[in-house]
Parts: sequence; structure tokens; C-alpha cells
Amino acid sequence: MIKKLLQSYKVIKAGDWFIIILFCVLIVISTKFLWALPQGEYLEIYKNNEILATYTLNQKITKIINGTKGEIKIVIDNGRVRFSSSPCPKKYCIHQGWINKANQTIICIPNQISISIVGPKSGYDSINY
Amino acid sequence: MTPSTIKITDRDHRIAKLSAIAVALSLVEFFFPSPIPGVKPGIANIIILYTIFKFDIKMGIWVSLIRVFVTSIILGSFLSPTFFLSLSGALFSLLSLIIFKNLNRKYFSIISLSLIASLAHIFGQFIIVRIWIIPHNGIFYLLPVFILSAFIFGLVTALITNKLLQLNTKK
Repeated sequence: MIKKLLQSYKVIKAGDWFIIILFCVLIVISTKFLWALPQGEYLEIYKNNEILATYTLNQKITKIINGTKGEIKIVIDNGRVRFSSSPCPKKYCIHQGWINKANQTIICIPNQISISIVGPKSGYDSINY
Repeated sequence: MTPSTIKITDRDHRIAKLSAIAVALSLVEFFFPSPIPGVKPGIANIIILYTIFKFDIKMGIWVSLIRVFVTSIILGSFLSPTFFLSLSGALFSLLSLIIFKNLNRKYFSIISLSLIASLAHIFGQFIIVRIWIIPHNGIFYLLPVFILSAFIFGLVTALITNKLLQLNTKK
């Protein structure tokens, strides 16, 4: 049945292709604009769920933080941030790489440290929706 | 006994038959669970498109509105938010079809009209949802999903209707 439907592509006329392309453009644009997370402005570092420090993301600096297992290096690089070294066994926090959007978070459970980016206006997630 | 002053024409019979099929398809669709909440293929629209192209737009409007009312009465959702959602979707689709029905048939076929109507349907539903049901801008986050589903189902509906119209003219 699908094969027969596909065979009927001959009925698609020039104007139809125009509308179809217009539709695809609309899908792409709406996805891009409506699903774009706001860029972050501040970095919050949490230890045991308490804010340890807040930094602006507009700088290039490496911070050293004491987790429960040792020293963690957090690199801030003009709008993005990552864990560059951590004494935890599996290094999930390092492998997560750079984050740059508001509400993105990296957690290092063995060290009980988490960092999260705060934007100018918080985006929607399942908690504040 | 006073004689009935309403003359029942062939046209009325035809509207009734087509509406009955559209209602039946709506009910079939209702009993199949949708994989994504809120996304429905809208198979009854095949009948409405068929009516508009085979007969005329006035008949399509009749069939479409009868379908909305009768389906909601059967399912018990008459005057509920679901009913108003489907009514506003239907009204916006019909409005878009009335506006665009004079597109040059040489370049634009049933597919264009179906896609335009499905987009108008989503638009109509989103207006109702934004104003009345969920008055929050967060719902626009869902818009890309609905536009994509409108595109897919609008295209499939148009192709099936086109096939139906072809089968009908061959006889």
C-alpha cells in the first residue's frame, strides 16, 4: 500500500513542491527557534547541594575546588565550562565535555560536586514547567 | 398530519452518508491509542478532502462540522475542551481551504491544499490551547512536533484522497 502511495508521487505538481519545501523550512526554523536554550551567563558550583561559589562565564580561568576525594579542576572558557581533571574513578564528569547552555549541569557524584549554568532567564524543564 | 415542508434532496442524502463514514473513521481512530499524546492522524479528513474535491466546498463544510458535533456527542465530549479543540481545528482548516481553493490547479494539487489545511488545523488548536486551556508560553515548545506531524499526516491524507478520487473516476 505504501509502495502504491509512493508511486503516486507523479501527482505532485510544481506548486506542491513549493509548499512542501516551505513546510520543511518552517519545521527547521520552528525547531531552531523554539528549542533553542538560552545561553548561560553564570556558573554555580554546588557541594552537597549547597552553593559553594558563583562565577561569571565571561572569563578564561581554571578554578580548583576541593571535593570529598580531592582536588577538581574546572575550566571556564568564555561562555563554556568543563571538568578538566578529577580524582574520581570513572571520570564521567570529564567525559561529559563542555557545557554552555542555561540549565545544563555536570555532576561528579564521588566528589559530591556539581556545576550548573544559570541563564539570564531560566528555561523550562520538568520541574518548573 | 401536516406535510413536511422540508424537502430532502439527493444532496442531503449524500452529506449524511459521507458524514457517517467520517464519524465512523473518527471513532476508529479514537479507539486506537496514539503513540505520542496529542498527535492523531486524522483519518476522517480523507473523507472531507474527498467531499471537497469530488463535490464542492460547501458540502465539505457540512460534512466536517457534522463530523465534529456527532463524534463529540457519541464520545461524550460535547462542549468539553476536546470538543472546542477539534471544532477550532476544523474551522481554521475550512477557512484556509475557502481562502486557498482558487489556487491554480495547474500548479497546485490536492497535496498543497491538504498541507495548508493541516497547518491551519494546528494553528487553530494552538490558539485555543494558548488562550484558554494552558495559558502559558511553554506550550510553544511543542510546536515543532505538531508541525512535523501535520506535515506527515497532511501529505499521507492527500495521497490517499488522491488515490480514492482516481479510483472513482476510472469507474
